Amino acid sequence: MKNITNLKEFACTPDRFQGGHRLCPGCAHSMIVREVVNATDDDLVISTATGCLEVCSAIYPYTSWDVSWIHIGFENAAAAISGAEAMYKALSKKDKLYNEDRRIKFVAFGGDGGTYDIGFQSLSGAAERGHDFLYVCLDNENYANTGGQRSSATPLGAHTSTTPRGRVSYGEKQRKKDLTMIMAAHGCPYVATAIPSTKHWKDLATKAAKAISTVGPTFINALSPCTTEWKFKPEETTEIADLAVETCAFPLYEIEDGHKLRITYRPKQKIPIEEYLSRQGRFAHLFKPENKWIIEEWQKNVDEYWDYLQRREEAGV
Amino acid sequence: MATPKEMLTTWDKVQFGAVLPSFEDPEHKKRSKFHSYNYSVADWRVEKPVFNRDLCIDCDFCWVSCPDSCFIVEEVVNKRGKKQAKIVGINYNLCKGCGVCVEVCPTPIKSLLMFPEYVDNDEALKQWPKKD
Amino acid sequence: MAQKYELKSKEVWDGNMAAAHALRQAQVDVVAAYPITPSTPIVQNYAQFLADGYVDGEFVMVESEHSAMSACVGAAAAGGRVATATSSQGYALMVEVLYQASGMRLPIVMTVVNRALASPLNIHGDHSDLYLGRDAGWIHLIANNPQEAYDMTLCAFKIAEDERVRLPVTTNQDGFLVSHTAQVVKPLQDEDAYKFIGEYKPLNPMLDTKNPVTYGAQTEEEWHFEHKANQHKALMDSPAVIKEVFDEFEKISGRKYNLVETYKLDDADIALVLMGSAYETAILAVDKAREEGIKVGLLMPRVFRPFPYNEVAEKLKNVKAVAALDRSAPMGTTGALYNEVAGALAANGQSAIMTNYIYGLGGRDTTVEHILDVIKETNENAKAGKRVTDLQGFINLRGPKLSFN
Ligand SMILES: Cc1ncc(C[n+]2csc(CCOP(=O)(O)OP(=O)(O)O)c2C)c(N)n1
Ligand code: SF4
Ligand code: SF4
Ligand code: SF4
Ligand SMILES: [Mg+2]
Repeated sequence: MKNITNLKEFACTPDRFQGGHRLCPGCAHSMIVREVVNATDDDLVISTATGCLEVCSAIYPYTSWDVSWIHIGFENAAAAISGAEAMYKALSKKDKLYNEDRRIKFVAFGGDGGTYDIGFQSLSGAAERGHDFLYVCLDNENYANTGGQRSSATPLGAHTSTTPRGRVSYGEKQRKKDLTMIMAAHGCPYVATAIPSTKHWKDLATKAAKAISTVGPTFINALSPCTTEWKFKPEETTEIADLAVETCAFPLYEIEDGHKLRITYRPKQKIPIEEYLSRQGRFAHLFKPENKWIIEEWQKNVDEYWDYLQRREEAGV
Repeated sequence: MATPKEMLTTWDKVQFGAVLPSFEDPEHKKRSKFHSYNYSVADWRVEKPVFNRDLCIDCDFCWVSCPDSCFIVEEVVNKRGKKQAKIVGINYNLCKGCGVCVEVCPTPIKSLLMFPEYVDNDEALKQWPKKD
Repeated sequence: MAQKYELKSKEVWDGNMAAAHALRQAQVDVVAAYPITPSTPIVQNYAQFLADGYVDGEFVMVESEHSAMSACVGAAAAGGRVATATSSQGYALMVEVLYQASGMRLPIVMTVVNRALASPLNIHGDHSDLYLGRDAGWIHLIANNPQEAYDMTLCAFKIAEDERVRLPVTTNQDGFLVSHTAQVVKPLQDEDAYKFIGEYKPLNPMLDTKNPVTYGAQTEEEWHFEHKANQHKALMDSPAVIKEVFDEFEKISGRKYNLVETYKLDDADIALVLMGSAYETAILAVDKAREEGIKVGLLMPRVFRPFPYNEVAEKLKNVKAVAALDRSAPMGTTGALYNEVAGALAANGQSAIMTNYIYGLGGRDTTVEHILDVIKETNENAKAGKRVTDLQGFINLRGPKLSFN
């Protein structure tokens, strides 16, 4: 496992995901990807599901990757990486590896659409089969690449292009699916949540390093604030991510062996959820008097979940 | 730096299976013409970040947060013999002017500030806010 | 090292066992597959070979056919020999990824056991799945019996992996009629089979991490057409290599295969064109018809894609009437094989009278008698010098006669 001590040293890592890609200015996807890729010195083979990251980092005739990379489709990043990992095993068994001296790690990236929704089956299958890979969900809570439609990661009340606010609608009706826990329930040896942030850079980098060095299927759900679809200014990306954590809308925790839960960051004082919601255009309508109950519902959900996490941590289950 | 238009070739000369090699010379990490590192997104910008080396404390927050891998880093050895990254500049071919780096820069007077694209960097440094 | 499997010079295998042995002998690095009738036994037999130490590659039992083909693509791009097996609904579920596999020029081999497509659900043989994959950019080889299922699978690896081709290949055998019908098969010994196929030749392997590559980039209107054209050219050029491989295979096996197979066509006045197990039934019908004085012959494209249209036209240049028999519901037009043959003849200025028959859907029996009826009708057209029968007829369909003009 790469020893991640301080940022000054970490910043000596040569980037293996490069600029010149076409992600929006201020896009969190690439902040997350850079940290994950930099969290190991091993060679990497990466698969990526269709979505913003894929579309913007491999527009022919350009690639932004300094590592081996494949995109097949929207729903099969996990299946693709299982195939590549199986080939690695087969060739090692047969003494036919291309570079005997290199150790290779396998990582898959998918958006929330490619992970929570259409790609969930292939992720579940790959996790259950026990392939040795890290899957990172870039969770921007919508189908950003196709114009901001809802996904099962879209939170309550959010305006998306398929759950628009309207005269008789307050936006998304469902709560966000708890994918991190679902992946833990697969018995994955390591599962964690993370955000792109200067304050929590080490949280993400350490989790990625841990996940990559853990043998077996590991999963990181990284909240990826989306300037374009959440509607905030590009320079605010990391600040919004920090607010998600400080309000406990998106708590930082990790789970080992499917059950050992540890909260990796505890806000000194939990900030009211309004401070997170009010910063994003997608929630603007919630501040109308008739939608006050949704904010209350939000706060209740956040409090309950935070409480649940703390009790689980305490109980060691 | 070839634009995609300039790289356009005919059907018999396209990359086999649309497979793109990252490097032209992998051993020396020389990136190929197919690498976006050799593509410019500078025209996305209306404002650019300007870096003031004199104020920088090398916390590397800008490096870790930049979505476009713009910060040019030099590896140096500190007094205690540990390697550390020193920020030496910004790759303006890759910078889209999002302003994240300015936002995260923690120095009391920011070591990074946004300026209109047309302002010369030397001029920008002259306009830098002064310490009280 | 995998153990050598002791094989007799003659084995009694069904099509599934034959295909499974071919995969074993190819020493495939990664097989990723999902079971579906009637190709399930290929997957099961392979699992047993693995369990008994005859296979040392990886066998990934994925959770769907979509993931099977996706894992195959990931594995093939990683850089090694890859194969899978499927049928029908499984094939349909893979379709998206079939295009992705061929577009990335990955030499995956898929042993297909052909089966009908629902709805209504049906587990028996017809060519709906093969036709579904027609435009997916794969080479499609046809096998009419277990021996051919074995031979074609061995040839498939050599064709797919040839640097002049680098395209995925399916081998096709009819569900149950071939896959579950045990016949004498003369296998090659393990070492001879492997020597014939040869070592896998890597091209842009992702696992060569010293030379990172990007697979699956997005091309838009500036580039997409050029890539598709390039791939089409590779398919159009592949017959030269396919012929070479067939010739080489003949040298070691004594069994000769051709782009287009024929039976008693040289002196024929009329011809039937069909693929799959019914071709063997048709051979019996031809012999019978010839006893009755009808000079009829048969033609089968061994290679359905790329379609050998010039060879087909050449072989049919002396016949007066041709009936093309399609084993798939044409759903609103003439059958695909009819269209191919009619196009081939038209392109070469030939004017044999052409008719189309739909037969055998969902495993419906097609007997010698049924084919004799087709031969007689075709002969009527030849004698009249114009089409006097309906354009499209249905064979062994219950109920009032169904036909179209
Ligand atoms: C099978 C299939 N269905 C639909 C699409 C269209 N599509 C492409 S990307 C995308 C949304 C991606 O959303 P997400 O996975 O959340 O990634 P993001 O773009 O938000 O990062 C959709 C719907 C597709 N490419 N393939
Ligand atoms: S739409 Fe959102 S996720 Fe997609 S590139 Fe833009 S900021 Fe990133
Ligand atoms: S403005 Fe944005 S893209 Fe440019 S250097 Fe700063 S963080 Fe990077
Ligand atoms: S964030 Fe500011 S102080 Fe820190 S390294 Fe960058 S420019 Fe220097
Ligand atoms: Mg998304």
